[in-house]
Amino acid sequence: MGVRVTNGRALLAAVMGLGVAVSAQAGEYPDIGPLPALKVDAAKAELGKRLFFDKRLSGDAGIACSTCHVPENGFGSKEALSPGYPGNGNFRNAQSVINTAYKKVWLHDGRIGTDLNDVTREMITEDYIMNMDMRIMQERLKQDPVYVEMFKAAGKNEPSNGGARSIIPEYLKSLTSRNAPFDSGKMSASAKSGMALFKGKAGCIQCHNGPLLSDQKPHNTGVPENFDVFLDPMNHQAFIAFAMFQGIPNYMNLKRDPGYLNITLDPKDMGKFITPSLRELKYTAPYMHNGTIKMLAEVVEFYNQGGGKDSNKSPLLKPLQLSKAEKKDLVAFLEALSGDQLTSDQYVWKGEYPAEYPAIDNWTQVRN
Amino acid sequence: MRKMKFAPTLVAAAVSTVLLVGNTALAGKQDATKSEQAGPAPLAPLGPPPIPPDNLQSDAKAELGKILFFDPRIGGDASTACSSCHEPEQGWAWSEDLSRGYPGTVHWRNSQTIVNSAYYGRGFWAGSVPSLEKQAPAAAKGGVAGNGEDDIMEARLALIPEYRKRFKEVFGTQWPLIQDVWRAMAAYERTLVQRDTPLDKYLQGDQAALSEEQVRGKALFEGKAGCIQCHNGALASDQDYHNIGVPANKRWEEDGLAQITFRFEQYAKGQTEEGYRTAKSDWGFYYRSKNKWDKGKFRTPSLRYTAHTAPYMHNGILYTLEDVVEFYDRGGFDEEGRTTQFAENKSKLIKPLGLTDEEKADLVAFLESFSGDPITTEKPVLPEYAPLFTRAELEAAQEAK
Repeated sequence: MGVRVTNGRALLAAVMGLGVAVSAQAGEYPDIGPLPALKVDAAKAELGKRLFFDKRLSGDAGIACSTCHVPENGFGSKEALSPGYPGNGNFRNAQSVINTAYKKVWLHDGRIGTDLNDVTREMITEDYIMNMDMRIMQERLKQDPVYVEMFKAAGKNEPSNGGARSIIPEYLKSLTSRNAPFDSGKMSASAKSGMALFKGKAGCIQCHNGPLLSDQKPHNTGVPENFDVFLDPMNHQAFIAFAMFQGIPNYMNLKRDPGYLNITLDPKDMGKFITPSLRELKYTAPYMHNGTIKMLAEVVEFYNQGGGKDSNKSPLLKPLQLSKAEKKDLVAFLEALSGDQLTSDQYVWKGEYPAEYPAIDNWTQVRN
Repeated sequence: MRKMKFAPTLVAAAVSTVLLVGNTALAGKQDATKSEQAGPAPLAPLGPPPIPPDNLQSDAKAELGKILFFDPRIGGDASTACSSCHEPEQGWAWSEDLSRGYPGTVHWRNSQTIVNSAYYGRGFWAGSVPSLEKQAPAAAKGGVAGNGEDDIMEARLALIPEYRKRFKEVFGTQWPLIQDVWRAMAAYERTLVQRDTPLDKYLQGDQAALSEEQVRGKALFEGKAGCIQCHNGALASDQDYHNIGVPANKRWEEDGLAQITFRFEQYAKGQTEEGYRTAKSDWGFYYRSKNKWDKGKFRTPSLRYTAHTAPYMHNGILYTLEDVVEFYDRGGFDEEGRTTQFAENKSKLIKPLGLTDEEKADLVAFLESFSGDPITTEKPVLPEYAPLFTRAELEAAQEAK
């Protein structure tokens, strides 16, 4: 495990370093614009969809990926803090997985910088998230005749742990922005004004840039702590377990989320979080890594005041002195970054799952 | 912590056998292995349980261990305690063939009683752990048992003030440590012993403690039926591994959930690919030794407390002591004539016994003398969570950012 984390850090550091080099030229930021289309394998995506909504992928078969990544909520969590695995809470807000296939670094603290295969494994196996021993998961999949067929259709010999990890990301590739006014060029006048502010006076583009509207780098914006992380022992125990396993110093006394410090253990990274994409955020309230801001207008006001209070706050954040109309325009632009809701059958598995696992016929005679 | 499970290896098994000092008694095992020429160790009254020098007994430790034993927060989703599969009302075991499992699963072996577990040199049916201190985490963390992880379980304890207080008193640590959970549980389990059975009293000189029928059964046990060849010494177990011919549990042919666990266990126990594909019964001690001659061998269980622990055998296929006696009388075959899949490994000690009905009844009567009254206990009140910080402290920390 130590080896894996070290590798993760090294890879992540490489990704980060590259990003710094590109954007260090003063005032030059990767432009915002439409995302490139992705090629999706239909059979794999269909299988991945069934897996994503299947509670049997968690240890006690109590929750699915979709329990925290709710389609109606832009595939993010409705609650400020995600529900977590039964018997626990959580300490962060589950991010939208729409457009996650475009990212280079995942999770609010950026602790995975390899690929979605690893993110999938992390979510399924982490004890306060889905707490699944993937060897049991594999055997559950092999016991469901529908999966046996679907894995074949997806070009896999039989259901397997590694197969599931590679196939769920294929489904995630199908969850991308559709018909956002920003992409289709059908923005209102107010949204267009907002976009000018976004790139200019409000300076949002300093971090929210490129087609994802995220530099995918860590920043401290002074978001206040969500005290529910510490006042509710269900959440706090998940936080402690996380911090203990990650090797964060003094974790029992921590009264704040260390964020990117998790990756570097460098005090200057305390309270930094990876810039989230702004796409689809019409559906993904509440906002910030800990869900402490409920509405977009409040997010804009937060930045208008120069962010929150933190001695480690990014120097990019300053009071913006936006007028009421400007704030409204900015919100209009932010809303124009959201497209159609991805709640139809195309994106959501709406079929039933069997209540029991059928026994394999002629068990003593067939190969396992 | 992410779930990463490693199969036990032969090396680990061998090393831990050598390093057993400080974990539990080896006396019974040594007696057994030296018994070939001298004859089996005689049945004997059960002495006090061995206490490992690195986990000394105290009332406070055992009391803490008791609370933890009944606390489902020592597990994955806070639903499954030790006592969930080792239920005092079911002989400190589970009264189905295969133990119940973690929610969403079923186990694949019969849950063994905790009573007198203090005397075994190694734990589990194939002896995969060297002590109670190692058995507890293996069960609490096993995917089809407790499915817990160290970090989340330790984190829970830190947020329960009464545990903080008790762990500090017993172990002197500022925060409860997960390793000490297993030590406290082991200390509690060492209090769950039964040393005053009719047989113990008889062996200590109380002739009236056994009925005439039972005395006749004892003679059969030590003679014609040959039980004592393996069920010997004070524990009535040589703690060695034998294939006695127990056939596979048919539930694996009919129960989808059981099939899932069956395959998982092949995977988890480090089977070869071919072994995983072809196994249709529990290979037992093979998973530790990886020697083909160990397929289908299991550790001789103690016969103590068995009046309360039905069903019997590693896979629970025999439901009464009468069934067990019939099984041995047939030479290790069930009533349908089924036996182990590894007949080549079946112990030479197992052969048809030719017992009469009266002899069978005597033997069953004697077997019952290995058990006293059921051991009962009042289940503890579980201590409650409390936030570690006050709102004022959090506000001050926020201000100081």
